[in-house]
Amino acid sequence: MDEPSQNPANDGAQSAPSIKEARSSSDSRALAFGLAGWLLPGLGHALQWMWGRALVVFFAVGLLVFAGASMKGNVFTRQGGDAFDTLGFIADLGTGSFYLFARAIETSGADVSHADGDYGTRLLATAGVLNLLAALHAFEAARGHKA
Amino acid sequence: MTVVPPLELNHFQAFLLFAVVISVAFGFLGRRRPKDRVKYILWSLFLFLLVGIGVGWAMFPFSR
Repeated sequence: MDEPSQNPANDGAQSAPSIKEARSSSDSRALAFGLAGWLLPGLGHALQWMWGRALVVFFAVGLLVFAGASMKGNVFTRQGGDAFDTLGFIADLGTGSFYLFARAIETSGADVSHADGDYGTRLLATAGVLNLLAALHAFEAARGHKA
Repeated sequence: MTVVPPLELNHFQAFLLFAVVISVAFGFLGRRRPKDRVKYILWSLFLFLLVGIGVGWAMFPFSR
Protein backbone atom coordinates (compact mmCIF):
# COMPACT_ATOMS: atom_id res chain seq x y z
CA MET A 1 0.00 0.00 0.00
CA ASP A 2 2.95 2.32 0.65
CA GLU A 3 4.27 1.80 -2.78
CA PRO A 4 3.81 4.78 -5.12
CA SER A 5 0.89 4.27 -7.40
CA GLN A 6 1.64 3.52 -11.01
CA ASN A 7 -0.41 6.30 -12.51
CA PRO A 8 0.14 6.67 -16.24
CA ALA A 9 -1.40 10.14 -16.17
CA ASN A 10 1.35 11.34 -13.81
CA ASP A 11 4.07 9.84 -15.97
CA GLY A 12 2.62 11.54 -19.00
CA ALA A 13 2.48 14.91 -17.25
CA GLN A 14 6.13 14.62 -16.23
CA SER A 15 7.40 13.61 -19.63
CA ALA A 16 5.29 15.98 -21.71
CA PRO A 17 7.65 18.98 -21.46
CA SER A 18 10.65 16.86 -22.31
CA ILE A 19 8.85 15.45 -25.36
CA LYS A 20 7.92 18.98 -26.39
CA GLU A 21 11.52 20.15 -25.97
CA ALA A 22 12.83 17.19 -27.93
CA ARG A 23 10.35 17.85 -30.74
CA SER A 24 11.25 21.55 -30.81
CA SER A 25 14.94 20.68 -30.94
CA SER A 26 14.28 18.17 -33.70
CA ASP A 27 12.32 20.76 -35.69
CA SER A 28 15.14 23.31 -35.35
CA ARG A 29 17.62 20.70 -36.48
CA ALA A 30 15.43 19.81 -39.45
CA LEU A 31 15.12 23.48 -40.38
CA ALA A 32 18.91 23.85 -40.21
CA PHE A 33 19.32 20.84 -42.52
CA GLY A 34 16.78 22.31 -44.94
CA LEU A 35 18.56 25.67 -44.99
CA ALA A 36 21.94 23.98 -45.41
CA GLY A 37 20.54 22.01 -48.33
CA TRP A 38 19.31 25.20 -49.96
CA LEU A 39 22.58 27.08 -49.44
CA LEU A 40 24.78 24.27 -50.78
CA PRO A 41 22.91 21.68 -52.86
CA GLY A 42 23.18 18.25 -51.23
CA LEU A 43 24.48 19.49 -47.89
CA GLY A 44 21.14 18.87 -46.16
CA HIS A 45 21.35 15.20 -47.07
CA ALA A 46 25.10 14.93 -46.45
CA LEU A 47 24.60 16.11 -42.86
CA GLN A 48 22.21 13.19 -42.41
CA TRP A 49 24.71 10.72 -43.91
CA MET A 50 22.60 10.24 -47.04
CA TRP A 51 25.62 10.32 -49.31
CA GLY A 52 24.00 8.99 -52.48
CA ARG A 53 21.26 11.57 -52.41
CA ALA A 54 23.70 14.32 -51.44
CA LEU A 55 26.00 13.58 -54.39
CA VAL A 56 23.15 13.27 -56.86
CA VAL A 57 21.58 16.56 -55.77
CA PHE A 58 24.94 18.35 -55.82
CA PHE A 59 25.87 17.16 -59.29
CA ALA A 60 22.36 17.43 -60.75
CA VAL A 61 21.93 21.04 -59.65
CA GLY A 62 25.55 21.85 -60.53
CA LEU A 63 25.23 20.35 -64.01
CA LEU A 64 21.97 22.17 -64.71
CA VAL A 65 23.42 25.49 -63.53
CA PHE A 66 26.62 24.98 -65.51
CA ALA A 67 24.74 23.99 -68.67
CA GLY A 68 22.17 26.77 -68.28
CA ALA A 69 24.76 29.48 -67.79
CA SER A 70 27.02 28.09 -70.53
CA MET A 71 24.09 28.16 -72.94
CA LYS A 72 23.74 31.88 -72.17
CA GLY A 73 20.49 31.47 -70.30
CA ASN A 74 19.04 34.39 -68.43
CA VAL A 75 20.31 34.55 -64.83
CA PHE A 76 17.66 36.85 -63.35
CA THR A 77 18.59 39.60 -60.94
CA ARG A 78 16.65 41.51 -58.29
CA GLN A 79 16.04 44.37 -60.70
CA GLY A 80 13.33 42.52 -62.59
CA GLY A 81 11.01 44.51 -64.84
CA ASP A 82 7.88 42.41 -64.37
CA ALA A 83 6.36 39.54 -62.43
CA PHE A 84 7.97 36.93 -64.68
CA ASP A 85 11.42 38.36 -63.98
CA THR A 86 10.68 38.24 -60.25
CA LEU A 87 9.51 34.63 -60.50
CA GLY A 88 12.62 33.80 -62.53
CA PHE A 89 14.79 35.43 -59.87
CA ILE A 90 13.09 33.40 -57.11
CA ALA A 91 13.58 30.20 -59.12
CA ASP A 92 17.24 31.01 -59.83
CA LEU A 93 17.81 31.90 -56.20
CA GLY A 94 16.63 28.39 -55.33
CA THR A 95 20.08 27.13 -56.36
CA GLY A 96 21.54 28.83 -53.25
CA SER A 97 25.24 29.46 -53.55
CA PHE A 98 25.23 28.10 -57.10
CA TYR A 99 23.42 31.29 -58.12
CA LEU A 100 26.72 33.10 -57.61
CA PHE A 101 28.44 30.36 -59.65
CA ALA A 102 26.00 31.00 -62.52
CA ARG A 103 26.63 34.74 -62.32
CA ALA A 104 30.38 34.11 -62.34
CA ILE A 105 30.18 31.90 -65.45
CA GLU A 106 27.90 34.19 -67.39
CA THR A 107 29.94 37.35 -67.33
CA SER A 108 28.98 38.42 -70.85
CA GLY A 109 25.25 38.36 -70.19
CA ALA A 110 22.38 36.31 -71.49
CA ASP A 111 21.47 35.76 -75.12
CA VAL A 112 17.90 34.51 -75.36
CA SER A 113 17.55 35.46 -79.02
CA HIS A 114 18.56 31.87 -79.83
CA ALA A 115 16.97 28.61 -78.70
CA ASP A 116 20.11 27.76 -76.69
CA GLY A 117 19.68 30.78 -74.46
CA ASP A 118 16.02 30.05 -73.96
CA TYR A 119 16.79 26.46 -72.98
CA GLY A 120 19.52 27.75 -70.69
CA THR A 121 17.02 29.96 -68.89
CA ARG A 122 14.74 26.95 -68.33
CA LEU A 123 17.62 24.77 -67.12
CA LEU A 124 18.64 27.41 -64.58
CA ALA A 125 15.08 27.70 -63.26
CA THR A 126 14.83 23.91 -63.15
CA ALA A 127 18.03 23.72 -61.12
CA GLY A 128 16.59 26.18 -58.57
CA VAL A 129 13.27 24.40 -58.21
CA LEU A 130 14.99 21.00 -58.00
CA ASN A 131 17.25 22.26 -55.22
CA LEU A 132 14.28 23.67 -53.31
CA LEU A 133 12.58 20.28 -53.62
CA ALA A 134 15.73 18.53 -52.39
CA ALA A 135 16.04 20.95 -49.45
CA LEU A 136 12.41 20.26 -48.55
CA HIS A 137 13.12 16.53 -48.77
CA ALA A 138 16.10 16.91 -46.42
CA PHE A 139 13.89 18.87 -44.01
CA GLU A 140 11.19 16.20 -44.06
CA ALA A 141 13.73 13.38 -43.72
CA ALA A 142 15.22 15.10 -40.65
CA ARG A 143 11.75 15.27 -39.11
CA GLY A 144 11.38 11.57 -39.72
CA HIS A 145 8.39 11.99 -42.00
CA LYS A 146 9.95 10.73 -45.17
CA ALA A 147 13.21 9.18 -46.22
CA MET B 1 34.50 37.75 -71.75
CA THR B 2 33.11 34.38 -70.73
CA VAL B 3 34.97 32.12 -68.34
CA VAL B 4 33.78 28.93 -70.07
CA PRO B 5 33.16 28.38 -73.78
CA PRO B 6 29.47 28.60 -74.72
CA LEU B 7 27.65 25.30 -74.82
CA GLU B 8 25.73 24.66 -78.02
CA LEU B 9 23.09 21.95 -77.86
CA ASN B 10 20.30 21.23 -80.28
CA HIS B 11 16.70 20.90 -79.11
CA PHE B 12 16.84 17.17 -78.55
CA GLN B 13 20.16 17.26 -76.69
CA ALA B 14 18.91 19.97 -74.33
CA PHE B 15 15.70 18.04 -73.77
CA LEU B 16 17.63 14.82 -73.17
CA LEU B 17 19.96 16.54 -70.67
CA PHE B 18 16.95 17.85 -68.77
CA ALA B 19 15.16 14.47 -68.81
CA VAL B 20 18.19 12.44 -67.68
CA VAL B 21 19.23 14.79 -64.86
CA ILE B 22 15.71 15.18 -63.49
CA SER B 23 14.94 11.45 -63.75
CA VAL B 24 18.09 10.52 -61.83
CA ALA B 25 17.45 13.17 -59.16
CA PHE B 26 13.81 12.12 -58.74
CA GLY B 27 14.80 8.47 -58.61
CA PHE B 28 17.28 9.06 -55.79
CA LEU B 29 15.01 11.40 -53.84
CA GLY B 30 11.85 9.37 -54.28
CA ARG B 31 13.06 5.81 -53.75
CA ARG B 32 15.40 4.21 -51.25
CA ARG B 33 16.28 0.75 -52.57
CA PRO B 34 18.69 0.62 -55.56
CA LYS B 35 16.41 -1.65 -57.59
CA ASP B 36 13.43 0.66 -57.04
CA ARG B 37 15.58 3.64 -57.99
CA VAL B 38 16.66 2.11 -61.28
CA LYS B 39 13.08 1.19 -62.15
CA TYR B 40 11.85 4.67 -61.25
CA ILE B 41 14.64 6.39 -63.23
CA LEU B 42 14.02 4.32 -66.36
CA TRP B 43 10.25 4.70 -66.17
CA SER B 44 10.48 8.45 -65.54
CA LEU B 45 12.98 8.91 -68.38
CA PHE B 46 10.76 6.93 -70.74
CA LEU B 47 7.73 9.07 -69.84
CA PHE B 48 9.72 12.31 -70.23
CA LEU B 49 10.82 11.24 -73.71
CA LEU B 50 7.40 9.96 -74.68
CA VAL B 51 5.57 13.11 -73.59
CA GLY B 52 8.25 15.47 -74.95
CA ILE B 53 8.39 13.85 -78.37
CA GLY B 54 4.61 13.41 -78.37
CA VAL B 55 4.01 17.10 -77.67
CA GLY B 56 6.61 17.95 -80.33
CA TRP B 57 4.73 15.90 -82.90
CA ALA B 58 1.39 17.36 -81.78
CA MET B 59 2.74 20.87 -82.41
CA PHE B 60 4.17 19.99 -85.81
CA PRO B 61 1.08 21.03 -87.84
CA PHE B 62 1.25 24.53 -86.31
CA SER B 63 4.93 25.06 -87.04
CA ARG B 64 4.38 26.37 -90.57
